Amino acid sequence: MGTDRIKNNRRKFFKTSAALIGGTIAYSLIKPLEVISQVEDKPKTTDNKELPLWGMAVDIESCVGCGKCAEACKIENNVPEEPFYFRTWVEQYTVKNDGEVKIESPNGGIGGLKQSVPDEDIFKSFMVPKLCNHCSEAPCVQACPVGATYISPDGVVLVDDSYCIGCSYCINACPYGARFMNPITEVADKCTFCYHRISEGLVPACVEVCPTDARIFGNLRDKKSDLVKFLQKNPTQVLKPHLNTHSRVFYNGLSSEVR
Amino acid sequence: MQDQYQHLYQALSQVEGYIYPNDIDLHWGLMIVLYPYITGLVAGAFILASLERVFDVKVLKPTYGLALLTALAFLLVATLPLVSHLEHPFRSYEIFMTPNPTSAMAIFGFIYLWYLMAVLLLEIWFDYRRDFVIWSKTSTGFKKLFYKVITLGINDTDEKSAKLDNKLGYFITVLGIPSAFLLHGYVGFIFGSIKANPWWSTVLMPVIFLFSAMVSGIALVMVIYMVVCWVRKVRIDMPALDTIAKYLFYILIIDFTLESLDQFHRIYEAEESFDIIKVLVSGKLNITLLLMQVMLGTVIPLFVIGLFQIYKPAEKIRKTAYFIVGIFVLIGIFFMRWNVVIGGQLFSKSLSGFTSFKAVYYGMEGYLMAALWLILPLGILAFLLWLMPPWKKLSYHD
Amino acid sequence: MPKIIFRLFLSFVLFVSIFVLIQRFLTPDSFGKYGHYRAYSIDDNKARVSYYKGEEKCASCHEDIFDLKDSDLHSEVKCESCHAPKIDANTDCEVMPPIVEGTIDFCGTCHAINLGRLKKGAPQLNFKEHKEGQNCIECHNAHAPWELTE
Repeated sequence: MGTDRIKNNRRKFFKTSAALIGGTIAYSLIKPLEVISQVEDKPKTTDNKELPLWGMAVDIESCVGCGKCAEACKIENNVPEEPFYFRTWVEQYTVKNDGEVKIESPNGGIGGLKQSVPDEDIFKSFMVPKLCNHCSEAPCVQACPVGATYISPDGVVLVDDSYCIGCSYCINACPYGARFMNPITEVADKCTFCYHRISEGLVPACVEVCPTDARIFGNLRDKKSDLVKFLQKNPTQVLKPHLNTHSRVFYNGLSSEVR
Repeated sequence: MQDQYQHLYQALSQVEGYIYPNDIDLHWGLMIVLYPYITGLVAGAFILASLERVFDVKVLKPTYGLALLTALAFLLVATLPLVSHLEHPFRSYEIFMTPNPTSAMAIFGFIYLWYLMAVLLLEIWFDYRRDFVIWSKTSTGFKKLFYKVITLGINDTDEKSAKLDNKLGYFITVLGIPSAFLLHGYVGFIFGSIKANPWWSTVLMPVIFLFSAMVSGIALVMVIYMVVCWVRKVRIDMPALDTIAKYLFYILIIDFTLESLDQFHRIYEAEESFDIIKVLVSGKLNITLLLMQVMLGTVIPLFVIGLFQIYKPAEKIRKTAYFIVGIFVLIGIFFMRWNVVIGGQLFSKSLSGFTSFKAVYYGMEGYLMAALWLILPLGILAFLLWLMPPWKKLSYHD
Repeated sequence: MPKIIFRLFLSFVLFVSIFVLIQRFLTPDSFGKYGHYRAYSIDDNKARVSYYKGEEKCASCHEDIFDLKDSDLHSEVKCESCHAPKIDANTDCEVMPPIVEGTIDFCGTCHAINLGRLKKGAPQLNFKEHKEGQNCIECHNAHAPWELTE
């Protein structure tokens, strides 16, 4: 009968549409999980072994805290002079005899770090340069909602100035405080290993001006580079290893007080 | 140019301990406190509505339509504080074009669109469609035009079509519950997944956000229901109001338990970040957390409504109490968002020092702007209630 | 099928199609080439101006000073460590010479006594005890610090 056919069609329609919608929803729920599960197998952009893999070593035992690196970086990279924006900075740690640790970095160390605790109270003191660690598993790259920050094929974490929307998520995601919001360009900014220099065979500006060779830059894939030789000779550590960021800035002489 | 840095120089002079030089400025301010607050209100109001539709809590019938329209009014405003906070708001379309699959924030555009269109608008449409058709015949002017257009040409008012509307509306509501969870849960995940910030990074963060969202949404509907009844000069349906308060009580207990568990776990484990967090909570956050969020927003409401479960005083007392408690809860949950967003940025990633928050009144991040974003949805709600009054509906889903 | 569902389904399909079309149109060309980013950004980042030229560039004109510096302890220190290039489009030494004052404050950035730097190579001096109030270059040649002019 006519009505039976109509009823049948309607039932079939409901069934198929429910199946389609259900399937779409199920698929859209599973798809993101797929992305998470593929974290291990996904090819990394830095897998091309023909290209260099840039890294840096910082020798705390050589750093005198002159701050010339921080100053040179600001000049080279047009970073505003105000003491709120640093691509790199130097900290002075003073461990007092009573166990208290005083950390300072006035103006990022530019102008030289000055001793602020009397000699007799000091147990030990040392300088620690800080910069973007160019993590191989960078939490900032993971956090960017639009893909404006990324790891280049040669291992440098960069920002796309024309694409960044300025949400500051990456700045909050960086465990090392290496990122800041540039007040002039109004996008996220950070150390780029002076990408424009290293791509021309030069070294970053901070490495160029360091008077005591406390910063050693190089290609981690080049067994003959100064960097690799330094890493081979010295026991190095990375900052905040418990966060598993696979940082490519290695510190020699890192004492447990360092934050 | 100098005055743009003035507040930073001031903050620099007020730094306590050692902060990483770049940590001087708080990047997420009042606008980012508002966004989870508003989406939380949306999710909570929707859950209250679904309690009636899906879980058959029939006594909540008088508040069903109101809850949905409240959710819609606030959802329409939700993106605005977010987009206004961006340095480059005109690039925000990029979130739709190239969303980063590893970023929790990238889901925002899609979940917002999905929730707005596929869930909320559809549900309201299915619920009101028959009324739109009938109203279009009896009204004039703008309302008539609106009703005619919104029916999308489907003008059946018979029993069969009503049943279909009902079924589809039910289906959408069922779909809407996990969607509401996702709408607000992902905001919690945005914070909870940041391993760099120990105040944010906890597994419980999405769950805490969700339950506090439900609390705030329910309190909002409760307060708005009372205000609307007062404006319309009609009697408040006390069983409905008592039930709303009861659900508020239950979910507030869960919320309080979760938050206490989080804090207790922190205190017990006392891992690396605990030293600075201890100073944060007892110092800079002592008023906003201990007084406003816990005492005002949680303990007092729990005590009052809890008392009413055992001993029920006269209607007039209950009404006043519910109203005050509702406002308290709304304030308390606002400060919960405040404590998470602002609190998490007050201490440096060095875990050795504090910067300070600068309260501004004017400008894009100021209190006036925040007040605008909170009052605007109330204005939109008033308009929606005029356009589609739930109490004038002629048919009701069963 | 019921009119409602058909129209809703149609609008959904239409919406998604238009969305995908717009997405294709608005996504930047080089996006996704190496990863989830605009590949041309790599070239943008490479195209920035360099201000520090490196010692060899300085030595190409100032060979005598460079040789002098090389003969003494400051051979370890690069020219631009002290003579920071001034930023102004290009660092043409004739246009914007990076002149340096050899004051105690300036030389003290490396040489002022600080217990945090005692182990290192740069000699440390307490400038309160060592010629307070004078300029370092009154006695020391900055390019050959042990050649004292007294």
